[in-house]
Amino acid sequence: MSISITRLAAVCTLSLSLVNLGAAGFAHAGVIATESLLPSARAEDLATVHAALDRSDVRQQFEKMGVAPDAVDARIANLTDQELHRLAQDLGHAPAAGDGLLAVLGIVFVVLIVLELTGVIDIFKKT
Amino acid sequence: MTAIRGAALATCLALAGCAAQPTMLESALPEGAQRSIELADTPFFAQKKMQCGPAALAEVLSASGVAVTPDALAPFVFVPKRGGSLQVEMEAAPRGHSRLSYRLAPALTAILAELGAHRPVLVLHNYSLPLLPRWHYAVVIGYDATTEKLVLRSGTTRRQTMSARQFVRFWDRAGRWAIVTLRPGELPATADRARYLESAAAFERVARPEDAARAFDAAVNRWPDEPLAWVGRGTARYAQRDLQGAARDYFEALRLDGSESGARNNLAMTLLELGCPHAARAQVETIAKDALADPLRAAVEDTRSQIAAHMTASISDDPESCRAVGR
Repeated sequence: MSISITRLAAVCTLSLSLVNLGAAGFAHAGVIATESLLPSARAEDLATVHAALDRSDVRQQFEKMGVAPDAVDARIANLTDQELHRLAQDLGHAPAAGDGLLAVLGIVFVVLIVLELTGVIDIFKKT
Repeated sequence: MTAIRGAALATCLALAGCAAQPTMLESALPEGAQRSIELADTPFFAQKKMQCGPAALAEVLSASGVAVTPDALAPFVFVPKRGGSLQVEMEAAPRGHSRLSYRLAPALTAILAELGAHRPVLVLHNYSLPLLPRWHYAVVIGYDATTEKLVLRSGTTRRQTMSARQFVRFWDRAGRWAIVTLRPGELPATADRARYLESAAAFERVARPEDAARAFDAAVNRWPDEPLAWVGRGTARYAQRDLQGAARDYFEALRLDGSESGARNNLAMTLLELGCPHAARAQVETIAKDALADPLRAAVEDTRSQIAAHMTASISDDPESCRAVGR
């Protein structure tokens, strides 16, 4: 069930983006997206140039990281060229917020307890 | 002995941040803001294991009128082997639900201002130290300047209160990252021109043309002297097949900034599709193509060759109707 919803959403997102591009008579490559005209995009031409490369890179990394293959296209479709570029660089290291409790032992644990009690950190509460 | 005890206490206080000003929230109140606000009708979704991202995102999206659950969002923002959700995707996912995501300026004032506009704010916290981070997404739904506390939807807690000092400490460690989601046409309370244009341009990529048009309408109304706002609306109108409207917007962008080659290129394509290849060629020929970088350079090249393909040797001028385009 959840897979079919995922697939449906992916198809919807993709077809939405195709609607943007598809209209009869003319090839629309000529019209340039506003995204590419922003000062930030111009300063970072690399991002756009490597978009195709980044796309396949991110796709591979996503699959390695356990993202359902039928959701990958829709996830990539939502990203700007710059975001894609950033993701290609640091998908493995960028902050990923979940709730994973820390697995730490010994002295580190004691230090953390002290910091927790003094209010510097707040990691032992179940959120 | 007393000195040592004093030093220990001072260290502890400094570590705990006790020395911070007691009126952090008070002094961050935007002008004319209420002293306390709580968006109590913000939906709450208790997070599942490792899925604070989908839960927080479902809360802000629901608050902006999108019927969506964390389970429906998880396939789009959860990275199983990372055990969490990435900021880039938290910003990108709303676009697939007809919503813009807008990154707030890194100031507590900005969060309070959005709450004042009845918009809950999604934030990233780091509960631990930079070396051993423990990241967490939560949604700010209120504040009280008298008690110096913020109210959050967080994890499995429907209503969490947190002192402003604690909040800012965790938020600082996460680079002061905060976003709101916007309906197409809405501007954030703290709208910054460059930030909003980034947000609208990113939205354009997957938005329905009528939604993109609304998003840029708002920009045109707020910053009528911003060429890119007009370009964005022009392109949305082009995608809606309102070619006359698109041409008017591109002309306005060029009136504001004649060197905006993107506007000129798109205007040329629009003129071509309006059946005015000569006018289109006149526009595209004034673009100094060699000074451009990809992808704009490639687009201009493509426009030129499409115009050339539509030129007929026997017809030396555009039809009369072309003179009225953009008027």
